[in-house]
This record gives sequence, C-alpha cells and structure tokens, in this order.
Amino acid sequence: MSRVPRSFRLLEELEKGEKGMGPESCSYGLAHSDDITMTHWNGTILGPPHSNHENRIYSVAIECGEAYPDQPPKIRFLSKVNLPCVDQNTGEVKKEQFSTLRDWKRSYTMETLLLDLRKEMALPSNKKLPQPAEGTTF
Amino acid sequence: MASLPKRIIKETERLVSDPVPGITAQPHEDNLRYFQVTIEGPQQSPYESGVFQLELFLPDDYPMEAPKVRFLTKIYHPNIDRLGRICLDVLKTNWSPALQIRTVLLSVQALLASPNPNDPLANDVAEDWIRNEDAAIAKAREWTQLYAK
Repeated sequence: MSRVPRSFRLLEELEKGEKGMGPESCSYGLAHSDDITMTHWNGTILGPPHSNHENRIYSVAIECGEAYPDQPPKIRFLSKVNLPCVDQNTGEVKKEQFSTLRDWKRSYTMETLLLDLRKEMALPSNKKLPQPAEGTTF
Repeated sequence: MASLPKRIIKETERLVSDPVPGITAQPHEDNLRYFQVTIEGPQQSPYESGVFQLELFLPDDYPMEAPKVRFLTKIYHPNIDRLGRICLDVLKTNWSPALQIRTVLLSVQALLASPNPNDPLANDVAEDWIRNEDAAIAKAREWTQLYAK
C-alpha cells in the first residue's frame, strides 16, 4: 500500500465527515472552512446509552499537526467531562492514558479517535462516574 | 514501500527530461507517488505572471483511478475552492487510464485560462463571476499578485 500524504488523507476524512457517511454517534469538520492547511477541526461525540453520558453531546477540538497521520492528532474536550484520560483542568485527552493515542497507527482516523473515546465513556469502570453539569465547558 | 509501477517511473522520467512549458512536477524523495507541482498562470489570463504551487498524488489504483490534485496557493477561481480542491472533469468522471500526469496538469493550466462559472465548485466566486465578470477578473489578478509569487 502506498502512503497517502497528509493533505489528501485529511481531504478524504473531510469529505466523509461532510457527507455524513460516518456513524451517527460522532461528527467532525474543519473549524475554519478556508483553513488550507486543514489543521484545526471540531468534533462531537454523542454520549453512549446506559451511562451517565446518555443523551449528552460533547464538543471536542482536534489539531492535526504537520506529522499527521504518522503521529496522532491532539484532542481536547471543550465540554466538561469526567474521564480518567481527560485532564480535568484543560480538557486535554492525555496520550499516555488513552491507548488509541498512545498506540497510534497510521490507519487510524479522527473517526477512530472519536468512536474510541465514546467506548471509553461506556467502559464499566467509567460509565457511572459522576459527571459535571451538562453544558459546562473547560 | 512496494516497488513503483513501470508506468509511473516512465511518466516521472519524461516529466523531468521533457518538461511541459510552464509546468514543473517533482516527486518527493520519500514518497515517489507524491509530487510537488508548480503551474505558471497562462498569458492573457487573470493568473498571468503568477506561479501556483500544487500537490499531486497517484493512488494505489493509478492509472485505473485518477491522480489526486490540489492547489496549495490561494487562488480566486470559480472551479477551485477555498481548500484548493479542483472541479475538473478529467479528475473525476472523464478520467481515462490513457491520460497521464502531464495531460492532467495541462488540463489544470487550461482551466486557469478559461474559468467556467457555470459548473462551479466555489459557489460564491462563481456568483461574483457571473454577476460582474470584470470585477471578478480584477480580484483574481489581485490574489495572483498577493499569493502566487
């Protein structure tokens, strides 16, 4: 398999996100529609059912640096959420405590990341964690 | 990386040994399917005297699948959007394996010479173009001076 360069990979992700071809439980798009470097993205995660996250919509900010997708993006929650892998001061997802970022593979996408965070919310150890009031932000 | 198909090697050699006037295409050393491209704005077009940077990638299925091409230089053109994506038939439905990197780049250069606001990708630009062509051309000239140096 050839290595798809960063920009064409991001264009593929953008088109998938724009056309809503991904799952319903997450969404993502460019933060600024004229960002020709395609660095800053916004995303949402729909809280998983049967958890304290049910019916909540979490907003995240994603930064795809120069080395994406060889290196993982940075991702930060804008909506307050109580999860072990999320820094409770900044909302940043801590790479060392979240396996999708720690063991990042080039084939992973922003969608992988959002869906895996959603799975993290639904883990038996996390799903009943007390959550901040809905609508609060970091 | 898997070895490069002969067809791609031949096309690359010819791009270097027999370049198209006004166009350069150079593969990246660490990814021979990924080209850094420049296109000079055609004479008597609003893009005249500009040099536009583009990138081109040959996907795994090339030549069964068209190359992927994008402008890196900001450009005011009804068929090129704010992310540099190009609306051009040979890159989409009219692609044929008989076409090549050089013919694609020539088509992009021809698109600069004859913008087509009736088949837009950048809708706001196309509307400007139809409403007031002189003003749109002036703006395209201005952006060329600003960004395509």
